[in-house]
Amino acid sequence: MKKVLWIAFSITSLLFLAAGCSFDNNDDGDVTNNAGASNNESSETNGNNTNDSETNTNDSEVAAGEPGGRVSIPIVADPTFNPWHPNAFAESNVINRVLFSGLTKPGLDLVPEGDLAEDWETSDDQLEWTFHLRDDVLWHDGEPFTAEDVAFTFNEITLNDELGANNSSYFNEVNEVEAVDDHTVIFHMNSPVAAMPAYLSFNTEIIPKHIFEGEEDPWSVNSFNKDNPIGTGPFKMSEYTSGQSVLLERYDDYHGETALLDEVEYRVLSDVNTHVAQIMSGELSIFALDDLASVEQLENTEGIDVLSRETPRFFWISLNQEDERFQDTEVRQAMVHAIDRQNIIDTTLQGFGTIANHGIAPALEEYYNPDVPGLEYDPDRAIELLAEAGWEQNEDGILERDGETFEIDFEIGIQGDLEPISQLVQQYLIAVGFDINLETMEWNTMIDKVVIDRDYEMSLNWWRYPADPDLYAYLHSSNAGTGNNIPGYQNDEMDALLEAGSQESEVADRVEIYQELQELMAVEQPYLFLWYPQEAQIRIDSLQGVPELAFGDALHYINEWYLQE
Amino acid sequence: MMKSASTLIDTVPTPKQKQVKSTVFSRLRKNNIAFAAFLFIIALHLLVFIGPLIWRVSPEALTTHGALTGWSLQTPMGTDEIGRDVLARILHGGRVTLLVGLTSMLFSVFLGVVVGACAGFFNKVVESILMRITEAMMAIPNFFFVLVALTVLGTSPVMVVIVIAVSSWMEIARVVYGETLKWKQYEFVEAANAAGASPLRILIRYVIPQIYPSIIVAGTLCIAWAILTESAISYLGLGIQPPTPTWGNMLQNAQQYIWTAPILGILPGVAITLIVLAYNFLGDGLRDALDPKVVRKK
Amino acid sequence: MSRFLLNRLGQSIVLLLIVSVITFFLINLAPGGPSAAMRMDASEAERQAIITQLGLDEPVVVRYAQWLGSAVTGDFGVSFSTSEPVLERILSRIPYTIELTLFTILFAVSFGILFGIISAVKRGSLRDHAINFISVIGLSIPAFWLGLMLILLFSVQLGWLPSSGVGADARGENFSLLGWLSYLFMPVLILSTTILPNIVRFTRSSMLEVVNQNYIRTVRAKGAKERYVIYVHALKNALIPVVSIIGVLIPRLLSGAVITEAIFGWPGIGSLIIQAAQGRDYPLVMGVTMFVTIVVIVCNLLVDLVYSKIDPRVKNV
Repeated sequence: MKKVLWIAFSITSLLFLAAGCSFDNNDDGDVTNNAGASNNESSETNGNNTNDSETNTNDSEVAAGEPGGRVSIPIVADPTFNPWHPNAFAESNVINRVLFSGLTKPGLDLVPEGDLAEDWETSDDQLEWTFHLRDDVLWHDGEPFTAEDVAFTFNEITLNDELGANNSSYFNEVNEVEAVDDHTVIFHMNSPVAAMPAYLSFNTEIIPKHIFEGEEDPWSVNSFNKDNPIGTGPFKMSEYTSGQSVLLERYDDYHGETALLDEVEYRVLSDVNTHVAQIMSGELSIFALDDLASVEQLENTEGIDVLSRETPRFFWISLNQEDERFQDTEVRQAMVHAIDRQNIIDTTLQGFGTIANHGIAPALEEYYNPDVPGLEYDPDRAIELLAEAGWEQNEDGILERDGETFEIDFEIGIQGDLEPISQLVQQYLIAVGFDINLETMEWNTMIDKVVIDRDYEMSLNWWRYPADPDLYAYLHSSNAGTGNNIPGYQNDEMDALLEAGSQESEVADRVEIYQELQELMAVEQPYLFLWYPQEAQIRIDSLQGVPELAFGDALHYINEWYLQE
Repeated sequence: MMKSASTLIDTVPTPKQKQVKSTVFSRLRKNNIAFAAFLFIIALHLLVFIGPLIWRVSPEALTTHGALTGWSLQTPMGTDEIGRDVLARILHGGRVTLLVGLTSMLFSVFLGVVVGACAGFFNKVVESILMRITEAMMAIPNFFFVLVALTVLGTSPVMVVIVIAVSSWMEIARVVYGETLKWKQYEFVEAANAAGASPLRILIRYVIPQIYPSIIVAGTLCIAWAILTESAISYLGLGIQPPTPTWGNMLQNAQQYIWTAPILGILPGVAITLIVLAYNFLGDGLRDALDPKVVRKK
Repeated sequence: MSRFLLNRLGQSIVLLLIVSVITFFLINLAPGGPSAAMRMDASEAERQAIITQLGLDEPVVVRYAQWLGSAVTGDFGVSFSTSEPVLERILSRIPYTIELTLFTILFAVSFGILFGIISAVKRGSLRDHAINFISVIGLSIPAFWLGLMLILLFSVQLGWLPSSGVGADARGENFSLLGWLSYLFMPVLILSTTILPNIVRFTRSSMLEVVNQNYIRTVRAKGAKERYVIYVHALKNALIPVVSIIGVLIPRLLSGAVITEAIFGWPGIGSLIIQAAQGRDYPLVMGVTMFVTIVVIVCNLLVDLVYSKIDPRVKNV
């Protein structure tokens, strides 16, 4: 019996020791060695069926650039294999991009390229978009893909108001889609939308008419949506185990270059810490890291690359424009001056971000203007600007105007880095005299309060948008109140620019319009623009052929990926 | 008439309380572990309630030393992931955690005593309704409800305390119920009854004082339970929310940094374990000290 | 006996009704809505379309009546988040929770009884104190924190055990006992801490009571060996009340499973309820709570039946 007690005691003491050690040893890469050890261990216990793990690749016959092998990608929840399904969230998107194809896909410079469509043109009045489709595309079940599938997807799914399909709001201006012949479709528009090709590359893949036709409710076709989807992508469904994994196998009749990999596995792992642990033990191959706390450790791990990728996203603070205190441009500018954004990027984001002066991200190289003058970190300037707006610090150091202190309820949802970021922002604003009451709430509750009811004063969040500078949805006054214009900001000059930009299809003219818009945004701060986050792409270094794109976009090129020792 | 009745009640002899108390305390003193736990609890409360008056660093403000620094004279326990002083957060977090434990316990004891005493004292119908509810509440895996309730009702400190209390009063109710049944048969209670005192008065004046010891034991263990529950719901992101620090939410936060800065997780974890341990030992010690069976043996 | 069963059945139905009413109104009247309608960038029209599709435009009372109407026929509706039948989703998850809890009960009961006996037999000895001390520690450590520390030790530092999941690879065609157990080890250990100390303490006090009873003294007086006395006579009778405490511990075990599953990414019923609550998957939340309540009721009933069978003193309960 003494033995048992002794073991119990040693385990307890080991725990404390171990915890202490790992803290001390971080810098000299001790953890790396352990990860290596765990790698060997797992390959021993799990048999040698996984080609993705580093050690196993050594033993396998796969040579550089040659076909074969399997990559493993983490997803956080069970997916829905239908890009339009209201329940298809991020975890579904990374699968649907591989199973299905859209008319277009983001090119290597994010400018839309053909996928199912070979090329396209727009009529002079821009009210007709004609897409010429490939004639060599087969669905995974062998049926030919035709223009009818496209017309069906849009007319019956996207444009059916009762279904509330994902992303259908991008196609509000589409009146009808007409299949002219087997390989030509025309999108009839109510008004011009220059970003059509970009919208068609963003989670808007085509689904097969021959399966969904006649189904009363496409969302409840579980044999497709939850079990055996039929797409046109480079991989097809092999095996799906709910709560655990999705296994896709190469589709040999893919219309592009046939994929090099044999299989793509998606593992359902809800905890992000597990993603890190599993890529270190060689069980995962690639993902975009949301929680940047582990970047440093991953960077120090041999065999793992941490890559920084631009994405069309921007973080913002929204100040409810119903509240007249926030209608003063000086107040909004002062708040930006008060926040040390570079410090937040350096600490919480581990450097994965660029200070934002407006909403058009550097990922959109053609449009992004880095030279727009910004509002640098300058608390003194913030206090000056606030004084211009009538706010002076009282004896407690709190801003006051006409006997009223500047008290703000700051409401955020709990997700990713939002919590630490908001706490930092709160402290910076307190430093110049705002009285900030930070209230964190569950995501769902936040959406209800901030996005739907607009019952808030200040919030912090981000937008991810298709690879097009059209920010109409987020800034135009017609989207205030209920649309995606969360602050409810309204400005005629900005409206005019947004309208012009969204309708102009000539790139040179668009660039000019959006240059002007960027300057206006930087001054007006309709949202307080914080930064453009970069994606931290984590990848085992044996995985090659992945284009220099964000993980989500690189998935469109998964047929080119391969494993190499 | 009325007057004479109440004088009669007041002269009904009750067991000598003072003597019991002193023997309990002396017995507790003889139990080394429980007494050490008692002293530790007092010391820890003093530390977290007086400590911040001496260590006057704000738990929410950023220090100028940067994030995740090691220990130094300015920041004896280092800084956290956004650069706040960990010592200040441990102290203030302790305040909140211990207060949550205490208030949940008080609320839970209140519910338990009301339900248990009423069930034990009043008629069969009240008894069976109240005890069925108690049993039902015990039978349900209440963490499922705690989870759903906090997810949908929000996580303000008051809500956290209420949810913890509502899910933990049953044990106390059972103890109080049993004791009430026992005591209500005693002569002095029956005498008071015969003298025409109202049931409520008898309950409060004569029965409840007799069951204080059991309530104190149950209450002590209840604090331990409440602190543990608060940390568990914090782990799921449903506890008291930052920027207000609690040991539970500090621990939850530290989870992300378990690879890079495990110390952030170790400190609040050790703190919670120690205080819960102390309350459990104290509760056990008190139980032994109050248990007449143990008296005979010793 | 049948009267007892009828009585219990009646009570259980009332209990289930109360639980369903509370849960239903709690989730439906709370802020937020199903995730599909709560996308950040969904338009007002998309939101409305989804609310209508899910039937959430009806008043809550009507929806409760509808839910109850189909629930009594065994139809718990369709999950909002996956469009699959609720029962199907629960049944696909439940084997994992059963696996976890069964192993935990096995582990906790065998070690709990072992330590309980040692503690009772050597009452007042160092071993007794040590076991008691460790039991209290077990009761006091936040389970998830212990879990994180174990991960830190076994997965991060030593690299011996996987930090998460059920080990799909080790279960399929490439079944390996070691692989499978390596995934099970930490979750079982953590979940055990929620009930092991209680079993130890209960066994101990139950043993002590039995040892002091007359018949044991008689056996002893007859000159039986001490080991024989303890393991045959005393243990047999001491274990009877231990059966009853297992019934009491089942709700606690299931509550503990929620946290344990969350720590180790175990795809059981506990992680399902978290997802369901966060995603406001009303039918799923209802389904899981009803299911769990029924499981607990049935377990308690079974324990009571077994108890009345093995304990001659409990007749005609």
